[in-house]
Amino acid sequence: MFFLTTTIFDDKFQQTQGENRLPKQAKLLLSFFSSVKLTIVLLVLIVLVFILATFLPQHPDVQELGRKISPAGAEIFLSLRLFDLYHSPLFYILMSLLSLNLITCSVSRFPASLKQFRTSCFPEPPGTFDNIASDHIALLDGEKYAVGKIVESSIRNKCGTFKKTETERGTIFYSERGRFSLFGVYVVHLSILLMIAGAIAGSLFGFEADVNIKEGESVDSVIIAGSKDIRRLDFSVRCDKFTVEFYENGAPKTYRSDLSFIRNNHVEHKGALLVNHPLTFADLRFYQTSYGELPDIKASLTYSIAGRKSAEIFIREGDQFFIPEQKVGVEVLRVEENIMQLGPAVKLKVSAPGKDLQFWIFRHIKEIAAANPGLFSKVPVFNPGLFKPVVFSLEHTEQQYFTGLHIVKDPGVPFVAVSGALMVAGLLIVFFMPHRRIWIRMEHSGTKLVITASGRSSRNQAGWERLITELVQFIREKAT
Amino acid sequence: MSHEMIFSWVTFLYFAASVLYLFRLVLPREFWGRAASFCSRTGLVFHTAAIIWRWKESYDLGIGRIPLTNLYESLIFFSWAIVLIYLITELRIKNKSAGVFVVPVAFLAIAYASISSGITSKIEPLIPALQSNWLATHVITCFMGYAAFTVAFGSGILYLLKNALSVKPVFTDRLPDPVLLDALIYRSAALGFIFLTVGIMTGSIWAHYAWGSYWSWDPKETWSLITWLIYAIMLHSQYVRGWRGRKMALFALIGFASMLFTYLGVNYLPGLHSYLKS
Repeated sequence: MFFLTTTIFDDKFQQTQGENRLPKQAKLLLSFFSSVKLTIVLLVLIVLVFILATFLPQHPDVQELGRKISPAGAEIFLSLRLFDLYHSPLFYILMSLLSLNLITCSVSRFPASLKQFRTSCFPEPPGTFDNIASDHIALLDGEKYAVGKIVESSIRNKCGTFKKTETERGTIFYSERGRFSLFGVYVVHLSILLMIAGAIAGSLFGFEADVNIKEGESVDSVIIAGSKDIRRLDFSVRCDKFTVEFYENGAPKTYRSDLSFIRNNHVEHKGALLVNHPLTFADLRFYQTSYGELPDIKASLTYSIAGRKSAEIFIREGDQFFIPEQKVGVEVLRVEENIMQLGPAVKLKVSAPGKDLQFWIFRHIKEIAAANPGLFSKVPVFNPGLFKPVVFSLEHTEQQYFTGLHIVKDPGVPFVAVSGALMVAGLLIVFFMPHRRIWIRMEHSGTKLVITASGRSSRNQAGWERLITELVQFIREKAT
Repeated sequence: MSHEMIFSWVTFLYFAASVLYLFRLVLPREFWGRAASFCSRTGLVFHTAAIIWRWKESYDLGIGRIPLTNLYESLIFFSWAIVLIYLITELRIKNKSAGVFVVPVAFLAIAYASISSGITSKIEPLIPALQSNWLATHVITCFMGYAAFTVAFGSGILYLLKNALSVKPVFTDRLPDPVLLDALIYRSAALGFIFLTVGIMTGSIWAHYAWGSYWSWDPKETWSLITWLIYAIMLHSQYVRGWRGRKMALFALIGFASMLFTYLGVNYLPGLHSYLKS
């Protein structure tokens, strides 16, 4: 970086009256912190920190690192927080200096801008009509009133509204646009400070946490991200259902959690949580981040006795239920999504006095039996009616999931959002609405009328000069 | 015929335009310049048509999404945006010189999209993370910014070429005035800077909705900020320090390199944006 070697103090610094009363050291300090060279040096250093941070692994496994380099080396890296650069003292110092620099720089320059803002276009600044290029001057024959009208119409045409004043030097026409542009830069700087404030507010008063919830279960405490701390919520979240859908090519299409937010045993809010569509409850935002399959599968079972069908019974592996008609207990030994390529099945154990029966209930038992004549005599454990007179039937099975949620509280977000809008507005003002002024002097010189034009623009002076050249050319053509 | 075939004609047209801009640089006749502009304009028309075709095709396939969602489509759009912004600039400044360094970038981008074996041109449906209304605005603003930076880069090289040559060949007289080139570098960089600002912001809003955090220090985010800071330094140094010419041209080159790394290089670092690896 070729500009790092230059000193920081020789910045052109606009002194205002208030600063003249300050002691010498304070002035020096102020000029140091308000210098744009300091800004540039700080920005370069921040860029270097960022580059370092993207190439050094952030949050690596410390022990593995100790093996790779030396343990002592790892110690040095860790003490400098080089593996967590965005939270390192180095980064904080740089950001504090940048904020300080932005504030002092803006505050010390603001009075000058305000003065400039209040300065009227007329009288024109000294030197406005000195050293004017020949393409900004037109020598015209003609009568003052008629030429004046031409000047007026052309300036109105190119620059909009204008004013005119008679002076002893001739008539001065002047027009101005975008005076508020002087403040664009302050809007941008303010937005950056607000953004830093928002980030600080978020890290001080907010938190990020993760939690996994099994379908049908609820949680009321979450694990703070990057730590093992547990934070209790004053409500609980229940995952009613998790759905995952896939495209034909196998890529995921939808992850969706149906959540209920429960306070005092009362469901206060229900909603579907999808990726890109977070849910908000009690100033916390919930995000869908992951999911997983649970080992246990949910099944629903019915049984019939002499043609009378029971209500659905929902079971998982290890569950027990009771058949009141027979006064027997049933234990669910296994629940399988697909066993022996024959589809979903559950294995039951019926314990009646004097006999223990274990057998399988297949979801597709009709098809299986039809394809294998005499199945039940050969393999009695496939018979869903083995425990007479009860005939079981497996209605459906369902994979059970847990959903992985990310939970965020960030009170800094509104600040950051406002600062983003401010920054874009400020940049548009700075770059696309320059403060542009034009002065046209019309005076007699012998028998001729001399038109002299001069202009100033806060951006793209060259473009403004071109426009003025065109304007003068236009006047020249119209007047002859 | 398919839209991919049109993309290959467009690749050829941009190649032809690049060669013709080079001819225009070294040969005195203005014919070469007109031919170069004609090729790049025709290319842009076909390019636009093929992007729309691809968009429609995704609807025909029952997928229905904007063609801005993977590396292939982003390279195609990058190339399109470069030519668009360059041609608008060419019309406005009435000078065709910068084309010789800008249009080849557009050619390389679109050629890389179709030639590289690792890049699929298949229209795939969107995974949940990409199903967002912010996708289109984020990608469009970022790549318009990248394209404007490319124009600044081309003008920067031209500036350095004009000034660096100790023995001036005849053609340097036909290059634009350094003042014009300087303004061109500054204005393209400023345009790109605003687009990049909006691009980072829309990305940040998207991240807020998708990941739960408007900023995660993902390498791509960090590098976009590095690029943004480089141009911020550049624009400050011009405005406040009055730096002009050579220094601005060098900045345009450094900024362009950083932008390219943000776009392509970062994918080789671990992070959330690493769609290149899939």
